[in-house]
Amino acid sequence: MVEKSQRLLNLIIGLSSTRHRLTRDQIRDTVEGYEPLPRGASEEDARKAEQAFERMFERDKAELREMGVPVETVEDSVYGDEIGYRIRPAEAAMPALELTAAELAVLNVATDYWRGAVLGGDAQQAVMKLASSAEHGPRVELPFAALPAAAHDAIGTLVEAIADRQAVRFEYSSTKAGAATRTVEPWTVVLRAGVAYVIGFDRDREAPRTFRVQRIGGRVTPVGEHRAYDIPDEIPLGALGESEDIHTARVALRPESGHALRRRGTAASVDGGWDLYDVEYAHSDALVAEVLGLAGAARIVSPEDLAAAVVRAAQAAQEVGRG
Amino acid sequence: MAEHARDRLVRMLGILTYVERHGATPFAELADHFGVSVAQVRKDIDALWVASEPGDSWSPIDFSADEFDADVAALVRNDGVTQVRLSPREAVALVGALSTMGAAGALPEAGGQVLAKLRDALAEPVIVLGDDAVAPEVREGLIAAIGRYRRARVEYVDAHDRRTTRDVDPHRLVVIDGHGYLECFCHRAEDYRVLRLDRIAAVETLDTPVSRPPTDTAGFSLTPAFKATVRIARTGRWALEDMPGVEIEDAEEDVVATFGVADAAWAAGRLLPVAAHVREVAPHRLLEELHRQAAAVLEAHR
Repeated sequence: MVEKSQRLLNLIIGLSSTRHRLTRDQIRDTVEGYEPLPRGASEEDARKAEQAFERMFERDKAELREMGVPVETVEDSVYGDEIGYRIRPAEAAMPALELTAAELAVLNVATDYWRGAVLGGDAQQAVMKLASSAEHGPRVELPFAALPAAAHDAIGTLVEAIADRQAVRFEYSSTKAGAATRTVEPWTVVLRAGVAYVIGFDRDREAPRTFRVQRIGGRVTPVGEHRAYDIPDEIPLGALGESEDIHTARVALRPESGHALRRRGTAASVDGGWDLYDVEYAHSDALVAEVLGLAGAARIVSPEDLAAAVVRAAQAAQEVGRG
Repeated sequence: MAEHARDRLVRMLGILTYVERHGATPFAELADHFGVSVAQVRKDIDALWVASEPGDSWSPIDFSADEFDADVAALVRNDGVTQVRLSPREAVALVGALSTMGAAGALPEAGGQVLAKLRDALAEPVIVLGDDAVAPEVREGLIAAIGRYRRARVEYVDAHDRRTTRDVDPHRLVVIDGHGYLECFCHRAEDYRVLRLDRIAAVETLDTPVSRPPTDTAGFSLTPAFKATVRIARTGRWALEDMPGVEIEDAEEDVVATFGVADAAWAAGRLLPVAAHVREVAPHRLLEELHRQAAAVLEAHR
């Protein structure tokens, strides 16, 4: 019995070196590691052997795909209806990358980021692949580390769906609409400060939408064909992107407080017991939250609508638990 | 336990590609580089050697038998077999982790180089956005101090907006939940501390060598003082999703979030911006702190 790793290697070699394609029969009968149909077998035995081969080959094909090896299906009516398979060597090969020992060491630190989470095995496998491109050197100790992030199981399925350009369906609890089933053509995964999002075209709402992966409940199910849609060159980042509009607010700060705002802003003047600073901001919500968090040590002078938002939030907070 | 076939195949292809690039390579070097025993390297080379094309005994890969007996891998022929590319998941995992470290200001210089090479080769498998504004001179200053085993004097603004000057023994830069931190021993607190990089305003390397070694237990050890329960309308749910150890359950039109609180003032500050959506807060001390802060904000805006 040939080991599975050996059989998969022979399958890669066979599908890469074929001029045109290999049919299932050719694979079964000529690739070392599969069992050719026994000669003179009864119809019953032949059928069983055929089924065993089919199962094995389907698993192997899926395994190669998960490894990153694109197995192409080739249909050719000239050679009858039977489909064949091939691998385009240029598409399957690792691009030439020259990595230093220090760069390889960084990659090992990076794998810790997904440790114990759904992409952990993928990260390690990736580093193993890249090790063949790296120079050998003494182990490099780096004063850097990444602690595992909480990753949602859905992220693996979403990444594969994006690569296949296949739509997905999932349960999503949105802040506005509550829980609902969404059908989405996923375009890209976005990571921001340890939080994963997926941006895609929402088929029900007929518009691009951003979903927080953490809010997906249960499984992500791929639906429909591969290559079912195109991914736009420019993906709208929506609320995740930096706003183009930068405004300036004047903020009053008590002495020895508001250090983060002082660092970002420029000193304007002094007004009684307050230091006045001009601070640029892109997201008004974030500035309002920052001023609120300083609990009275900061006050928004202008614009007025931001000052009003601060006051509204504080008034609402006073009412909590008093109704 | 038997090794997964895919892991072994990836290593075999790795060994093949490595030897093709570097020329004759001792088994010992391959074992060290790929993290396996010399005996396993020998088995992997054997397996590559007997690989065959369909239907005949033609071997696309051939090694020198003499060199093999001397525990050296030397290729005689390789007919186009090579390491395979990264899968989409592998690309997202690696580029995502490296970019997150970069966005958090905790990526070594070599990391920036390898990230550029990967992005060149892979297009853009994932978009990573960073919020942390870590000053380059802070990052460089800390890395220099760590590399020279020197104490550093840092200007730090804590979560309560208190500005302090601390002398620390710097150990590592670490990414936790997508943010960058300095692990160090703080001589002011006489204890190990994790300082957020984007709250460090300035760094000065001192001549004093570091005196306290790094701890084995990396990361946070903030012990929650009490458990808080907050009922909030769905609209405000996002504000609580990042609370440490939070659990959120649906409750009709609202959600109920339960999380550990190490510091009531900090937690109340997080509730203030979404107070209009908050229905109930427990325990009472957290509610009181929320009311106290709200009153202070209104006083300031009077």
